[in-house]
Amino acid sequence: MKWTIRDTHGLDDVLIALSKGREVYALEKAKNGSFRLSNATNWQTGRHTLGPYRQTEPLKALFFPAREFIGRWKDKAAREPLPERIVFGVKNCDLSSLAIFDHVFLGGVAKDPYYAEAREKTILVSTDCSDHLDVCFCPAVGEQPFAESGFDINIAQTPGGCIIEDGSARGAKLLNSVEQMLTEAESPLLEALRQQRDKHYGELAAFSEAHGLKPGTDLRAAVENSFESELWSDFAKDCVECGACNFICCTCHCFLLADGLDKDGTPARTKLWDACLYNGFSVTAGGGTPRPFRAERLRNRFDKKFIFFPQVLGRYACDGCGRCTEACIAKIDIRDVLRRAVGESTALHAHTGDH
Amino acid sequence: MNQPLYMPIPAIIEQITDETPDIKTFRIRPEEPMPFKAGQFVELALPGIGEAPFTPSSSPKISDHMEITIMRTGRVTDRLHMMGEGEELGVRGPMGRAYPIDDFHGREILIVGGGCGVGPLRSLLLALVDDLDLYSRVIVRYGAKTPDSIVFRDAQMHGWGQRGALDVMLTVDQKAPGWDGHVGVITEILTEDYLDCHADDGIAVMCGPPIMMKYGTDMLLQRGYRPENIYLSMERNMSCGIGQCGHCRLGRYYICKDGPVFSYDEIRNNPRLWDD
Repeated sequence: MKWTIRDTHGLDDVLIALSKGREVYALEKAKNGSFRLSNATNWQTGRHTLGPYRQTEPLKALFFPAREFIGRWKDKAAREPLPERIVFGVKNCDLSSLAIFDHVFLGGVAKDPYYAEAREKTILVSTDCSDHLDVCFCPAVGEQPFAESGFDINIAQTPGGCIIEDGSARGAKLLNSVEQMLTEAESPLLEALRQQRDKHYGELAAFSEAHGLKPGTDLRAAVENSFESELWSDFAKDCVECGACNFICCTCHCFLLADGLDKDGTPARTKLWDACLYNGFSVTAGGGTPRPFRAERLRNRFDKKFIFFPQVLGRYACDGCGRCTEACIAKIDIRDVLRRAVGESTALHAHTGDH
Repeated sequence: MNQPLYMPIPAIIEQITDETPDIKTFRIRPEEPMPFKAGQFVELALPGIGEAPFTPSSSPKISDHMEITIMRTGRVTDRLHMMGEGEELGVRGPMGRAYPIDDFHGREILIVGGGCGVGPLRSLLLALVDDLDLYSRVIVRYGAKTPDSIVFRDAQMHGWGQRGALDVMLTVDQKAPGWDGHVGVITEILTEDYLDCHADDGIAVMCGPPIMMKYGTDMLLQRGYRPENIYLSMERNMSCGIGQCGHCRLGRYYICKDGPVFSYDEIRNNPRLWDD
């Protein structure tokens, strides 16, 4: 069902009502103009916003924390249950990335109970992007700057009013609880939203194309066909394998099980984000590794995102959020890497006549 | 709550057998029985220190304890080799895909092992020898660097050679006093001179160091074994063991959940297949 807000109420009233009884995560503008996820006990008008584009840190951190305590040796005590949570202002890149984590932590040979609990206890309120960052390129990977699924509630703002849509049973239930503030959205408003989304998608698609990545380009074929290219060692010359691209990535899911001692000396285990750019990532006992060169590790990252995930899940593990480009201290722009892969792949095919 | 997927259960080291100067077999008894199939692996954890993947070398028909044959080669295995009987460690598992032995019924099975790689193969052999009638023939070809580095030298390996349906041959890379067996690398005893086999529909199972697997596979293909009938035990840095942590990816597979047993056909297109 698609709602809009009655004249008697404002958007903040609705958000305050939705957040009641839940820990709130919402976007907050930082001094440098970017947005970050801010944690509070309720929606705070003036401080919190739905935001024009994604926040700096990836949404994954709420479900797959950078450091998660796994347990103490022989300790049978129960973990404190997580509070009920609501996240406001989720953008489609982050929302879409959760499909990767659901696949990894819920869809495999065993379910991760901590991840499952975090997903169950978190209401996701997404919102359309109204602007984009210089690093954004979601149309090139088949995404768009608004959500069509995966949310509990989506809020789209247009000059003529908000459109509030439920995307899950619990989202619908929550909207029903604030029904007195809402009324059904009429078709002119829905049409205005459709046009606004088309326009914004078109602008972002053109922006992406200006960086050499036309929407619909087969990035899997590009990476596959340029597997033996010099491009990986060229970009690897600048890479310092700091792992920032892995950590900040909205889809990178690799982790390390780290053993150590708890404060009282009890052996304990912690789950930490890990980075495939690190030399030690795939090292086995005795020191062997399938990827001894940095260029191979850099290529591996693209292999995982643009070959492996299309094979196992039918989609790229990249949502075009551009965080890796922002975070890279060597200024490696993921669009430059992909553009070169596309170029070399196309040249190769033209040369061999293989279409 | 200890997150059960990633936390080991306690196990006691019941017995330690010295196999070679740097290989020991540890018999461990987990707090709860841990039934496994030949080829599957477990993660052995030294609490507070670290964890590493190993494939049991004992019979899969015994589930209350398991034997694991371990070469001293890194941080965790160094510590393991310093441990004594009665000491405690942790174990998680079993994990991964086993040898598809039900598909082996009625067929000739060639088992090719090198060095410590014979551990998982011993588990497979122990599963096969109890039902030898189910297979047309079982052949073992095993190579070690020196006579001193032959694993399970006092155990069943030699006895197996006496049984009719079993054909066992060993080789060592370097000649040594007292050794009257074959001298040469493993691929030599896979040639027509030393191996009479039905390669066209036979099964070959191989486990050993990467260099041996590489040349061994080439030799088996040369002999006429089909890529889909050559089973390899692959190893990478299997850490979580359940296809989540990302460390042991090989092309479209995670070795921990899709392997560690693969047919050569499944994995042959991967670059750097033999590096680990």
